[in-house]
Amino acid sequence: MAFILFIGGVALLLWMSDRADKEERRATLISDILWLEQNLRFHLTRNEELLGRIDLAQTADAKTFESFARTLFGFESGLRQLIWLDAEGQARRAHPATMDSAVAGETTEVSPSRQSFRLARSLGKPVYSSAYPFFTDDWQFEVHVPVSREGRVVGVMVGVYRIREILGDSVPWWLAERYRISIVGNSGKVLGTRSKIESAVTDEGYQVAFDPPGWGLTIHAVPYHAPRPLASVLLSASLVILALIVLWSLWILRRHVLRRQAVEEQLQREYAFRKAMEDSLDTGMRARNLDGEIIYVNPAFCRMVGWSAAELIGRRPPMPYWADDYLDETRAMHDRVLAGQGPEEGFELKLKRRSGEVIDVLIHEAPLIDAQGRHSGWMGSMVDITERKHADEQARQQQDRLQSTARLVAMGEMASSIAHELNQPLAAISSYCTGAANLLRNQVPTDEVLPALDKAVEQARRAGQVIRRIYSLARPGESRFEVVDLAERVEAALSLMDGEIRQKGIHVLLALSPAATVEGDPVLLEQALFNLLRNAIESMRDTAPEQRQLAVALTCAEGYARLAIVDRGYGIAPDVAGQLFDPLFTTKPEGMGMGLAICRSVVENHRGRLSFEANPQGGTVFHVLLPLVPQWVAPPRT
Amino acid sequence: MGSPATHIVDDDPAVRDALQWLLKSRSVQSQVWGSAEAFLASASCELCGCLLLDVRMPGMSGIELFDRLRALNCRLPVIFLTGHGDVPMAVQALKDGAFDFIEKPYDDNALVDKVLAALEHDTKRCIREKSLREVQHRLEQLTQREQEVMHQILAGKLNKVIADELGIAMRTVEVHRSHIFEKMQVRSAVELSQVLGLLGNQSGPES
Repeated sequence: MAFILFIGGVALLLWMSDRADKEERRATLISDILWLEQNLRFHLTRNEELLGRIDLAQTADAKTFESFARTLFGFESGLRQLIWLDAEGQARRAHPATMDSAVAGETTEVSPSRQSFRLARSLGKPVYSSAYPFFTDDWQFEVHVPVSREGRVVGVMVGVYRIREILGDSVPWWLAERYRISIVGNSGKVLGTRSKIESAVTDEGYQVAFDPPGWGLTIHAVPYHAPRPLASVLLSASLVILALIVLWSLWILRRHVLRRQAVEEQLQREYAFRKAMEDSLDTGMRARNLDGEIIYVNPAFCRMVGWSAAELIGRRPPMPYWADDYLDETRAMHDRVLAGQGPEEGFELKLKRRSGEVIDVLIHEAPLIDAQGRHSGWMGSMVDITERKHADEQARQQQDRLQSTARLVAMGEMASSIAHELNQPLAAISSYCTGAANLLRNQVPTDEVLPALDKAVEQARRAGQVIRRIYSLARPGESRFEVVDLAERVEAALSLMDGEIRQKGIHVLLALSPAATVEGDPVLLEQALFNLLRNAIESMRDTAPEQRQLAVALTCAEGYARLAIVDRGYGIAPDVAGQLFDPLFTTKPEGMGMGLAICRSVVENHRGRLSFEANPQGGTVFHVLLPLVPQWVAPPRT
Repeated sequence: MGSPATHIVDDDPAVRDALQWLLKSRSVQSQVWGSAEAFLASASCELCGCLLLDVRMPGMSGIELFDRLRALNCRLPVIFLTGHGDVPMAVQALKDGAFDFIEKPYDDNALVDKVLAALEHDTKRCIREKSLREVQHRLEQLTQREQEVMHQILAGKLNKVIADELGIAMRTVEVHRSHIFEKMQVRSAVELSQVLGLLGNQSGPES
């Protein structure tokens, strides 16, 4: 639409400029032609006056007439012949004397015209004759000026004009260059033309009456098909070119805009897609620049920590969501990540929600690469694993309780079955003895009583066998003894409690001599070590977190491996120290009282010694002393 | 059988033997059984005496055997021998009609005293049950007509009235009456009603 309007506007402008141009030319033409007409009229009127002033004396003498005529001709009057007619119309003088027309006889009318003469004589005013042909291509007309003397017309001075001559004399060159000037008769016949070029635009012509001669003569001026001025053409052309350029650029612009729109739309779609994806994520995302300043957080992250994006962006460490109790750890991890040394497999961290609640998160950090391919920061993804950890912890505790209960039940079952096994022979012994006593009281002969006593002895032996069987069950034979690396066993026992150590935040210090090899049952030794380590860890349940420290030192000296397990727990009260190793004695609410008893029996079974002392810094130190394998008998390891 | 005796059911031969020896030292005769199943196979409702029963046995347990005996309407007094932990079970058995329970390890002579008490308790029961069974046996020997006549007699009717009601001859009624007295081993109608009254007291709901 705008396009069409523009085209129309340009066309209208061109057309209007053309029209104005034309009108201006026409106005010029009109003024030019009017000027020409006036000029001609001035010429003719002046000639009339000059002709009317002729002295009769001059007409009489041929020589003076000739000089008069010459004077007149010299004024560029356009006159070609002067003829003096007397009152009767007889030609008395003429200059030039002879007319070619008369000679040729080609004039259609009598020259000079009788009619004009009579009219001029009777009117006493100059009268013009109609134009008549002179030869084939020229026309001429006459002016009859009556000359009076004392109120009486004495003659008529006739001036002959040749139309071609008039045009040649009175039309200036500049006019002739612009127009074809012609004098046209009343029949439309062109009587004379002054032009350089034949072709002319006929429809643009203009005509005015060529009045003093009258007779329907008109002056026609037709402008040449003059080349339009170069400037104008250039202007128009440049206008058109400009318009074309504008159109082209419009088209280009439009194409560009369309393309841009499409790209923008796609971008918007992409953006909406990304945003939806980002918003629906459960994983918190947080980007930091190389200085550690937060530059981006996603909604899931905001939900996770309880701070809004506006509050977080631009923050520098320490961040508001760092947990106060783990500030140093968090800061250390932050620095590690910024230094590019963050653990690739991700790491766990405790963060603080705005409400103060501490949450566990699993974080993965990846370098942030910008559009130019430069490393511009770090993008971290966080998953809230509080629930999972909690559930894990609960499951573990549940497992522990179940195991503990199962152990108790199994032990109860075993005790019950042992009790039954022992009850049977004891009951029999009791019955035999009571029966025997009854009989003896009644003075029954001894040989009747004796079999019962024999049977009682048999039953006592049976009871002894039961007990021996139980004992052998609880104390495995020595055939399984082998060379054991104590350091290895300590590490294995500790690894079983990894979860608990991490959860309680216990700091473990290990100083294990690799030379501590003893001969023994690896499973039993590990069980004993496990019990001791477990006791140490559990004793620190109520210790302040920063003091939870477990030191395990394994040294070799004087043929013995010496293991010290140092905890910072609640220690051992002096009044229970004596019972500590007794079976079924326990200080733990859910304990069975077997742990230390087993430890001592295992250690003593390995020809070692188990002892303890109070830790001067609080807590307890357990010492395990086990004989080293003599170097010369140590069997080669396989 | 029928004679009162103490039955010992225990899976442990030594315990069985020792108990038998103990009872014998107090002049109590006893019979031993190695398992509940073995005892059940030879037991009858006419057993008298008492039962020393170990709660915990392989196969059928003491409690199970006790329930079986109750189901058979055997009212032999039962003394349970229980180990540690079986007490609640034994208490429940006591509520269900067991005579007593004694926990291992036990005072042997106290056990014998309990056995003696049970035996004494069961003697009365055995005598009563025996006479009831006797009366029942005699009743079962009466013919249909004799039973009808006996009911009329017990109602206190005269022979004449009985003959009229049953539509038989007076003489026939007299013959029936003598047969009834003979079969029921009584001499008079009063004695008959006493014998039958015993039955009625004992098993009233049944008749």
